[in-house]
Amino acid sequence: MNAPSTHRRAVACAATALAAGLLLTACGGHKDGSGGSGGAGTKAGDASDRKSTVAISITDKDCAPSPATVPAGSVKFDVTNKDSAKVTEAELMDGGKMLGEKENLTPGLSGDFTLTLDAGTYEVYCPGADTSKTKFTVTGAAKKTWKDDPQLVAATRQYGAWITGEVKELVTTTDAFTAAVKAGKTDEAKTLYGKARIHYERIEPTAEIWGDLDGRIDGRADDAPTPADFTGFHRIEQALWQQKSLTGTAQLADRLDTDVKSLYAKVKTVEYQPAEIANGATDLVNEIQTSKITGEEERYSHIDLLDFDGNLAGADEAVRVLLPALKAKDPALAATVTERYRQTAAALKKYVATPGYENTGYVDYSKVTADQRRTLSQTVDAYAEAVSKIAGKIA
Amino acid sequence: MNDTPAADSGPTPAEPSAAARPAVSRRRLLGAVGAGAAVAGAAIGAGGVLAARDHGSSDDAGHGAPAGSASDTAATVAFRGGHQAGIATPAQDRLCFATFDVSPTASRADLAELLTSWTEAAEAMTLGRPVPGDVGDLNTPPDDTGEAVGLTPGRLTVTVGYGPGLFDDRFGLAARRPSALKPLPQLPGENLDPANTGGDLCVQACADDPQVAFHAVRNLRRLGFGTVVPRWMELGFGRTSSTSPQQATPRNLMGFKDGTRNIDATDASLMGAHVWIGEEEPQRWARGGSYLVSRKIRMRLEQWDRDRLGDQQDVFGRFKSTGAPLTGKAETDTPDFAAKDGSSYVIPADSHIRLAAHENNNGLRILRRGYSYTDGIDPQTGDLLGGLFFVAFMKSPDRFVTLQRVLGAHDALNEYIQHIGSGVFAVPPGLAAGQDWGRQLFG
Repeated sequence: MNAPSTHRRAVACAATALAAGLLLTACGGHKDGSGGSGGAGTKAGDASDRKSTVAISITDKDCAPSPATVPAGSVKFDVTNKDSAKVTEAELMDGGKMLGEKENLTPGLSGDFTLTLDAGTYEVYCPGADTSKTKFTVTGAAKKTWKDDPQLVAATRQYGAWITGEVKELVTTTDAFTAAVKAGKTDEAKTLYGKARIHYERIEPTAEIWGDLDGRIDGRADDAPTPADFTGFHRIEQALWQQKSLTGTAQLADRLDTDVKSLYAKVKTVEYQPAEIANGATDLVNEIQTSKITGEEERYSHIDLLDFDGNLAGADEAVRVLLPALKAKDPALAATVTERYRQTAAALKKYVATPGYENTGYVDYSKVTADQRRTLSQTVDAYAEAVSKIAGKIA
Repeated sequence: MNDTPAADSGPTPAEPSAAARPAVSRRRLLGAVGAGAAVAGAAIGAGGVLAARDHGSSDDAGHGAPAGSASDTAATVAFRGGHQAGIATPAQDRLCFATFDVSPTASRADLAELLTSWTEAAEAMTLGRPVPGDVGDLNTPPDDTGEAVGLTPGRLTVTVGYGPGLFDDRFGLAARRPSALKPLPQLPGENLDPANTGGDLCVQACADDPQVAFHAVRNLRRLGFGTVVPRWMELGFGRTSSTSPQQATPRNLMGFKDGTRNIDATDASLMGAHVWIGEEEPQRWARGGSYLVSRKIRMRLEQWDRDRLGDQQDVFGRFKSTGAPLTGKAETDTPDFAAKDGSSYVIPADSHIRLAAHENNNGLRILRRGYSYTDGIDPQTGDLLGGLFFVAFMKSPDRFVTLQRVLGAHDALNEYIQHIGSGVFAVPPGLAAGQDWGRQLFG
């Protein structure tokens, strides 16, 4: 798929909130109130350390829990089928979602399952019984959110500051690039192009919150409804490397300058949520896969390896700010993500060159063979798969 | 933990190795569907059980395994047992076959862990359940990719095999290499593409629904990120072999019945003599397993279709219409290789069935379980790309080598086919209760 840049998905939740004219932080992003979504044994710490035991007796008639109300915390459900041939399982449901169950309980059998539950109203469900659903209540304080976790609050601040710093650099380097373009200094412009591009590639998921702006800055020829709508970095890239003429690009340069400055003004107002940061990291690694490995993004200049570097650095920053919280919740995943980042960085490092193609520090991507691209892709794939699991652990 | 087959306690058929277990409808994906739908799902499941039971009782041979009609697709095939499913169990209609290489960065522990998770996932999928783990967390990608939800298990079998490369020095497995496992030698007439050849591991997923088979391979691949990388994958349709007398002999893309004389996989003594690795194998862990040889065989279909019928029949040694040998009347008639018409054999000297026949190969037999494939259109010629994805199981890969040396050199069919891909794998025995592929391999 030639994923056109403007169709890429920004942090979807943030974009929705923006469209509704809300502050980004107004967007919940997590099914608060559903509680216990991590399944048995996980999510410890979301609720108190209280432990309760609830007996559920399956009969043809129903599967009423006893007691029907417990405090938030760890809840063990002891399920017994006394004599029902037609009802053989009990499930704890939260709305339409099953949180846990015990099944295959033929008459005389019993079993248990344990969940960590937040305050809320649930149902015990036993398919086949005369009354198949019975209400079950968990009392206590409302579920804690990420804002109650100092590590996550620190992570969002740290990430926000890093993004703002990167966009500030983007403004400065774009300014230098566009000045060279307007002065008609082709060689200098080619060198400065990469210096600006890398900052954009690091922060792309944030920039994509503003789809129009992202399209004007980073859109490709095939994204533009008409040729006149093709603007920004890649339009000038085309002029420099393919058309080999800067005629008529002064206006494009000015427009690009204005757009990145506008982006800078906007990113300073953004507040991030941990899940968005994590999902943004996944998006960045997916970006490497869909538009760098393929050579799609920098199709005229072939500086794709520099963009790869930028995407990877952006993903790594997002992961690193979340890592303390992730280590506390899922040390194995934290170790896997760290190791696969190391492998991906090592795979990319094989193509480092000094000063490199167009002074990018990397070789010309058009010289990287199909087999080499495949190896790079497989390494990136493994990293992306691990990164995609972070949001569910920390949110 | 996720899901219950509503019919787990249903009747079990007489033939356990080819168990047509009671129907299990792929139920709701956890809580994604409300209670009403769940009840409806259970009702459908129950109907499936009855259908399977009816079928079984009308099967006088006592083989509970259905022959693959649409109404049978709810049945499941037992995942565990003395041998892996997908070899002696009746051939399903569809195949998804993939091979994988272990990543250079993966360790012995990574590989063992992957094989354990593959076992768990494969067993769940053969029961028509999703890959375990999902709790419907909105912030997490679902553990199962989802495309098989609502489909029946389709008699899914997932069979794994290990290539010669796995037993090199990377994972400390050299001392556990099944003794006959080594790369195949170069064989006459082959033109192998590395992109369709080899692999450290293979997964054969067979089902009556192609989406169920694809889903199985896709999800195992997904679990493999960081440990294995896919090497090649093939989709097969229209099984080209019957593996029991209850199955009609299908036709290959050349329009011929091919596989009439295949080993009857329900015959335990034949399977023991020709297919299963037995006491002769010093590696005890591999006994009860087999060897899988895959060959991607392109057919020159346009050229074949222009060949006159008489010649087509001479190439195979069979009548195209009935499938009977040229010396017989009915498909299952034993070919008379001595019969002559004047000075030449009725079944020509270079015909396929003569060269492949066990009578002419010192009794040598293999169990074929292949499928037709197509890769679309050859961009160079505009001709169809397709043929036979040959899969066979045998006691030792030497048997295939012996046969193919004869066929590759002399078979009249060679004018119309070419072997373009290849694989050889040791297939471990079936898993006992509580066992998994990782512990089985590493001991």
